[in-house]
Amino acid sequence: MPTLDLHAAAERALQLMLAQGFEHAQSSARLSQLTELNIELNRPSLLRNTETHRLGLLGLVGGRKAATELSDLSDSALRAAVAALHADAAGAPADTANAVSAGQHADIVQGPQQPDVDLLAAQVQGLLDFRARETPKMMLAEGSASHTLTQTCTLTSGGSVLSSRIGAWGLEASGSARDGKRASSFSGAGGRSHDLAAQPPQAHFGLEAMMREAERQVDPVPLAAHFTGDVVLTPYAVVDLLQWLQGQISDDRLIASTSLYAHRVGQAIASPLLHLHSRFDAPGVAAVSADAFATPALEILSGGVLHTLTPSLYGSRKTGLPHVPVAAGGWSIAAGATPLAALLRGVERGVLVGRFSMGNPSPAGDFSGVVKNSFLIDGGHVGHALSGVMAAGNMARMLEAVLAVSVERIDTGDWQLPWLRIGGLHFS
Amino acid sequence: MTASTASAALVTGYTETRHHELRKTRILMIDGSLSSNARTCEAGVSARVHARGYWGFAAMPGASDGQRVLDRAHANALAMARFGAHTGAPLPQDSYRGEHVFQGKPALSPQDNLERLTALNAFCRQRYSGLRSVRLMLLEEHHTKQLATSTGTQALSSIQRALCYVVFATENEQGEPIELVEPISVKGSFADLDLSADTLAAPLDRMHEHLQAKRHAVPARGGLHTVVMAPRLAGMLAHEAMGHPCEADIVLGGAVTADLVGQRVASDLVTMVDFAHHHDGAELMIPVYVDDEGTPARDAVLIERGILRGFMNSRETAAKLGAAPTGSARAFGPTDEPLVRMRNTAILPGSSRLAEMIEGVDEGYLLMATSNGQADTTTEFMFGINLAYEIHGGRVGRAVRDTTLSGSAIEVLKTVDAVSDDMLWGASGYCGKKQPMVVSMGGPAVRARAHLGGE
Repeated sequence: MPTLDLHAAAERALQLMLAQGFEHAQSSARLSQLTELNIELNRPSLLRNTETHRLGLLGLVGGRKAATELSDLSDSALRAAVAALHADAAGAPADTANAVSAGQHADIVQGPQQPDVDLLAAQVQGLLDFRARETPKMMLAEGSASHTLTQTCTLTSGGSVLSSRIGAWGLEASGSARDGKRASSFSGAGGRSHDLAAQPPQAHFGLEAMMREAERQVDPVPLAAHFTGDVVLTPYAVVDLLQWLQGQISDDRLIASTSLYAHRVGQAIASPLLHLHSRFDAPGVAAVSADAFATPALEILSGGVLHTLTPSLYGSRKTGLPHVPVAAGGWSIAAGATPLAALLRGVERGVLVGRFSMGNPSPAGDFSGVVKNSFLIDGGHVGHALSGVMAAGNMARMLEAVLAVSVERIDTGDWQLPWLRIGGLHFS
Repeated sequence: MTASTASAALVTGYTETRHHELRKTRILMIDGSLSSNARTCEAGVSARVHARGYWGFAAMPGASDGQRVLDRAHANALAMARFGAHTGAPLPQDSYRGEHVFQGKPALSPQDNLERLTALNAFCRQRYSGLRSVRLMLLEEHHTKQLATSTGTQALSSIQRALCYVVFATENEQGEPIELVEPISVKGSFADLDLSADTLAAPLDRMHEHLQAKRHAVPARGGLHTVVMAPRLAGMLAHEAMGHPCEADIVLGGAVTADLVGQRVASDLVTMVDFAHHHDGAELMIPVYVDDEGTPARDAVLIERGILRGFMNSRETAAKLGAAPTGSARAFGPTDEPLVRMRNTAILPGSSRLAEMIEGVDEGYLLMATSNGQADTTTEFMFGINLAYEIHGGRVGRAVRDTTLSGSAIEVLKTVDAVSDDMLWGASGYCGKKQPMVVSMGGPAVRARAHLGGE
């Protein structure tokens, strides 16, 4: 397979767009290669190699915008796509907020650049051996060990040139434990790493804890009575809280004026224990934004104070808020000062929540959902697994009500998160 | 597109080669401004080989050489021998020959689409003053697959759907933002989507009335309640509550349904089917005549008058369970392998009237719209409720703030005591299970006992 020259492909597309009459343009060429070994029903099942390449085009003419993406990179297909893009843009309403990046430069090479099927096979076999030896009731319904290499080159008519070559290992598993006719809830764990061989497979991403805890969940019991108490969120459950916050400070809510935080920069919106910052060099993450900006390190929360919103270039020009580019992933909550064991001991009555199964929170943050992979905490001790327990609360108030942050964290690549103890959730 | 012939001579097992094109268009308008105006086209060739008990898969972009992709998949299957010998039951050898391409209205130009969206935005702004925001999202996707298998299948399949989400946002009495969404979905392209004021005025008027009621909404009381689920929710109930636990790969993965075939899992009033392509004489929104393994698709009766009858199967799960394949193996994108997925899942209508079902509730809730849902191997399900009302003394009362419905599907379905005589289908959103998937859901109104989240 001849190597695709991403810069040449992006440059050719950019020139064709400008020749077509676009005043401003952005072209992005992308090549992704995946090597993946799959687990199904506790055994290795499938080996795959996939390759995709895409060309993403964005053009502006008279303040009118359109975008397209194609996988056929032949000259005829590209010319047809550019012509169709021009027609799309011509029919769009003019909007002075439309723009493309200018003067941005990045050249990022990061992570393992070559797949290694032997390493992937060793990880799969190691995980299956651990399951058979330590958690035999666990059925790994599916799982995978993988290597991805994603290369991109993005050019704009404003002179931006952003290239990346990001390699990463991946490991994940999910399933449920079974004991006779009793089964645990479905659970899973996984993430991306620069060094998969650094530790046994079960030591990555909380996989061992997930499998051991699933076995303890085959005999769950419902709550005896409604109560209001503390919740301890595992890192996987903290993700829901952070994704809600990120939605609140991003384009759609800012443009639609439905964000709770549009006017709260500089104010405390969360517990003083919370510090949320970027790590755009995390495994599998490239420090560039979708609208072709390099993404410097960023602090969202410091001591609970909101430092910034994150509108894109378009969102910024639409709302008048400062433009703050962010990468597609790579976020971290700083470790706290409380060891996890002490954090749990501090809970008189509450629930350790593995994950929430819930509807989308309302724009105001109200939510209710079923707590999954979860255990009752009584008198500081983690007790029996729970079934059919619902929690109700409000995301904004949960951010404010963080009472403790664990020393320990799980690093999945996209997220590096601790356990959080939060007060005042209602359980039924 | 042309399909490569899957060469059975290469291996002793099963092979499939799929030329797959996925086209999507996404247009998002927020208060008249075009936030997104994008189309994508992803095309490629994939091959999957089953040899010596293992699978090999490969996919390449564009009009790649099908034989080369097949060779790579074959090599991958053989490379799995490093894990030792493995033999399983032989895969079923069904095959299919045919072409199924939906012929909708002629496609609209990009300008036509944007003009229709602009007109709809203007209509909403003029008719519903006081809204904080109007968001309109148009989504269209067109899947075209040409499949060849070593069992003799040669098939061309096409699935098209178009969606429009209308989102109204305002604020409640406390000044907090609140929203409601009206999803409109059709089989076909944007041209098949009727966005005219004449058609949409009535449903949008109702949504606006519900939004005004929601401004004064009260929290749901957490706990077990009698709930009347409107048809839009019954489809979700079918899909999440018992649909996923009846996918045979989930069954083999430890779902509690594995031991329940032939046993009662619902009241007599509940019959649930995953339809392949037709129901009641009409072609459904996601018609699957042949799946992505080349198996002829047939209806899978999951629950018949309350008794669990069977599961949805691929070739491999059918072999493992000793069942017949149902043509339920579907791949979302060109680089995806087929997995057991639902197609058009529904609870069948009964004989009650919705008004009578509400009148029969002394204390409970009327649940009218849902946002998302999740299922579990235990059959415990949940879905978000973003439009609901209290019922007192058989009458609809105050609106309820966003909440969540949950329960054990089997326990909930056993409490069903009324099923309405109407039927509503929809195909908005995606089903998520390793890959996304377009599916449709249908159902009548259903009355049952289930848990609502709240204080």
